[in-house]
Amino acid sequence: MIEQVLTGAVAGGTSILFPVVGETFTQRSGVINLGTEGSMLAGALTAYVVGIETGSVWLGALAGAGAGALLALVHAFMVLTRGANQIASGLVITFLGIGLTALFGQNYVGQGVNAFASVPIPGLSDLPFFGPILFDHDPLTYLAILSGPIAWWVLYRTRFGLMVRAAGERPEVLVAYGMSATTIRYIATVIGGAMAGLGGAQLSTAFTRNWSEEMTVGRGFVAVSLVIFAAWNPMKAIIGAYLFSGAIALQLQLQARGTDISQYLLQAAPYLVVVVILAALSRRRAHESPESLSKVF
Amino acid sequence: MSAVTDADEALGTGPDPDAPTPMAQQPAGDGGRDVGRWMRGIGRWVVALGGALLIYSAFLLVRGADPIDALTAMWDSSFGDATGLGETLIRAAPLLLGALAVVVPARAGLFNIGGQGQMVFGAIGAFATSAFLDGALPQPITLVLMALGGALGGAAWAAIPAFLRLATGANEAITSLLLNYVAGLVLTWLVFEPWKDPASLGQAYSEELDARSRLPIMWGERVHAGILLAVVAAFAVWWLLRSTRWGFRLRVLGGNPEAAHRAGFRVSDLAVGAMLVGGALAGLAGMIEISGVEARLRPEMLAGYGYIAFLASCLARHDPLKVIGSSVALAAILVGGFGLKISAGLSGAAVNVLMALVLLAVLGFAQKKEVR
Amino acid sequence: MTTRRTRAVVIPGILALAMVAAACGSDEGSSSDSSPAEAAEGSTPTGTEAAGEATAGAVDTVGFIYVGPKDDFGYNQAAYEGSVAMQESFPDLEVLQAENVPETAESEAVMQDMIDNGADLIFATSYGHLEFAENLAAENPDVVFVHQGGLEQGGLDNVGTYFGTVYEPVYTAGIAAGEASETGTLGYIYAFPIPQTLANINAFTLGAQSVNPDIETIAVSTGSWCDPALQAQAAQSLIDEGADVLTQHQDCTKTIVEAAEAAGVYSVGYHADASELAPNGWITGSEWDWAALYTDIVQTVVDGKFAESDYNGDFRVGLQTGDNPFIQSAFGSMVSDDAIALIEAAKESFIAGGSPFAGPVMKQDGSVAWADGEQPTYAEVETMDFFVKGVIGSTD
Repeated sequence: MIEQVLTGAVAGGTSILFPVVGETFTQRSGVINLGTEGSMLAGALTAYVVGIETGSVWLGALAGAGAGALLALVHAFMVLTRGANQIASGLVITFLGIGLTALFGQNYVGQGVNAFASVPIPGLSDLPFFGPILFDHDPLTYLAILSGPIAWWVLYRTRFGLMVRAAGERPEVLVAYGMSATTIRYIATVIGGAMAGLGGAQLSTAFTRNWSEEMTVGRGFVAVSLVIFAAWNPMKAIIGAYLFSGAIALQLQLQARGTDISQYLLQAAPYLVVVVILAALSRRRAHESPESLSKVF
Repeated sequence: MSAVTDADEALGTGPDPDAPTPMAQQPAGDGGRDVGRWMRGIGRWVVALGGALLIYSAFLLVRGADPIDALTAMWDSSFGDATGLGETLIRAAPLLLGALAVVVPARAGLFNIGGQGQMVFGAIGAFATSAFLDGALPQPITLVLMALGGALGGAAWAAIPAFLRLATGANEAITSLLLNYVAGLVLTWLVFEPWKDPASLGQAYSEELDARSRLPIMWGERVHAGILLAVVAAFAVWWLLRSTRWGFRLRVLGGNPEAAHRAGFRVSDLAVGAMLVGGALAGLAGMIEISGVEARLRPEMLAGYGYIAFLASCLARHDPLKVIGSSVALAAILVGGFGLKISAGLSGAAVNVLMALVLLAVLGFAQKKEVR
Repeated sequence: MTTRRTRAVVIPGILALAMVAAACGSDEGSSSDSSPAEAAEGSTPTGTEAAGEATAGAVDTVGFIYVGPKDDFGYNQAAYEGSVAMQESFPDLEVLQAENVPETAESEAVMQDMIDNGADLIFATSYGHLEFAENLAAENPDVVFVHQGGLEQGGLDNVGTYFGTVYEPVYTAGIAAGEASETGTLGYIYAFPIPQTLANINAFTLGAQSVNPDIETIAVSTGSWCDPALQAQAAQSLIDEGADVLTQHQDCTKTIVEAAEAAGVYSVGYHADASELAPNGWITGSEWDWAALYTDIVQTVVDGKFAESDYNGDFRVGLQTGDNPFIQSAFGSMVSDDAIALIEAAKESFIAGGSPFAGPVMKQDGSVAWADGEQPTYAEVETMDFFVKGVIGSTD
């Protein structure tokens, strides 16, 4: 059962993991983007449509990332150039994403896409326990897992990462280097949107092989919460995303085993788990928050 | 629970001359004397909203719909006749209360994005009160008690993130966002299980409120007195924030938390108080919705209203009187959506696009940038 | 219409009168050229005698409201397609459509808007729209409301409900599933424990048990009519628990069929024919064809005979009455001739008045639902609130 829950956690958590890692960049630079939900939807539909029209799901995923990035760019413009309220702008971007994808997705509901197939990794996928959990998934899932360490490396070991963190912590340092915090924040926000789009692409063209209106059902909002849950650390983002999705897998598994626990309580469990753990760990979190971000809230 | 204006400084000190001011907090300075500024202000609104409508029309054209038809249909639905106007007001009332629930905490520099869950718990609290009274008291008293029950329900739900913040430091914006989903599931559970109407023939809803628990209808068949309550609440909040010591302290806290500390205010009490008042206002929105409109608890009631109310507050820059206008405007767009669906044959979601474009236009272009 | 006019007097004169005129124009002007085309072919003759004089004025506008998007590849799309097919029989009829109408008072407002746009007949197609349709019916005696799937409470002359006996094709699909299953475990993914859903899960299980008494159905709820990611995860957990046939009661159906196919297990569809999505695992399914029923309801109202027709009540069509709008999808290649013979036999018994729930039927907890020789009425089926024995899962 543990193996099944963990396998389900990885399979179902990938579409959340991408946006969590991406939004980590965004928030590290001092911007919060609730439009992640909209970017996910844009990515999901665009990947689906491009996948159908070109026959290539990889092109679809790329286009999905682009669509997600485009919506995030609107958010960046609103917030960074036009000085709009970050939370409000993010919510509006989400409404825009919901509306546009519903409007333009109508003709693609029920159409089949030649979806990403599972690609077991030779040798590793046969390992007991770890094989099915980690090494028997679609390519985007591997990419999502790798994106955690890669993002960590970029944030902590590259000059760009330093600048992103500086934009979030001490913009004045950037000034000394002749850099613009605004430019860095633009880039970080767009990266976040692109990864949210990729998460949406995984949702529609790999995990569910389906497009339907508002198919993300709030996962983008959850992703934004998980960034804070993961203390702006892309490695911990992996834990956060899979914990949430693991709670879903566990509640479904319990239902399938005929538990007596109320189904409504089970369905609320993933949200409650995140709230409880967030509260339990928060004492340690306060100082880890990017300086300027902590002031946004 | 930290202050908003600090963020302006933090994010605004970049070298970019176009430096951002992410939080729009204080009402724009009034430049009543300068006619030219007024004209420029109006011009900016016209251009921004015109731009939004143009972009929207372009989207509609791409989808093969006639934008003029669509916009006419929207207008007809929202304002075209008495029914439409009434429908707009009915929708504006919970949005207004929900927006006030954002206004009060915003004054202290806090974000209440848990309005959705607080509204739901307001409806639950109001229903529970009505069920407890069971028609024993006269209508006015019943309604007052239901309003209190609703406010209590909303405040109680708002208290959870506030408590978590104080006890553990957990970010209240994030916990209240997640708790919105939990509130929805609690409502679903209630109407499917303990509070399901036994006579519902399988439908998932609670029993119907008795006649004494229903807000009186003021006009037509559906326009209820809760709308008055919402407007009164707006003026009450305006007075509270403007003329009371509490309101003054909230402003100080929102404007400069350091100063609030130095002045010896109990900052955490103030902050929690603001969140609880916000929750209570959102709870009232739930109360008028069940008492004035729905008559029963239903799983889908108020869905999405909390978020739209948040935007209504932002549109009005958290000004307790201007939110009356922004709530009516957003309600009109929602009701206009009926016309889009019915007459123009467009996807129901098309209305989301229009709402988003209008909001982008206003938040990003029509509103003046911060004047420091 | 009088109510609206009085209200219009009340409001201050700021509202452009032209708008009001535009809003109500459609039903005032043309009354003569609304004579319907010939009654649709294949419609059941419930009240379709060519009407000489329509009593209640001309019917020229019909409204449809749907709870979800009208292109969901499921329940709402089927209803929408039914409305389109109906319109072919009435070329002069104006059809108003509104999708994504929630099951709250908002549906009442949308239907009111339709009435203001001249609607004479409104199809409220989702379960939770019923109460609001009944509210409006009381206020608008000239407008007919028909509701899909509910049981009417008010007894008004201008309200009725209609539905198919959905559980019949679900039961026969259960027979095929029971035959095909090797593990003896079937998986059912559903949204909420409403009676319609519980009846389906029970019928499916009883159908399967009729060929394999030991078979079990695991029922898992997603708490959503359309959340594809949850569907995919639920499908996986059912497969993990040994289910080798997956079926569902969801509004969007594609993900689960695809997930079953990818995992190499069988699938039984619902709402729509998804056989192309699962060339290997598709057993059968149940799908809607509302064209004939919608057409006949419209014809009845056009003829001014609604009040005395069977539609003014809880109208149910099934194999016994003929023309069930809920029909069996095509069978997959693995369905044996034996299974098809059993299915035909079951259908014969339903035509003869039998029921998928003919006793003895035991509840999950071992108590008797219907004893030998008993069977439930339509109303009893549609208020079902329990699982039968052999279903793993909880209704609360």
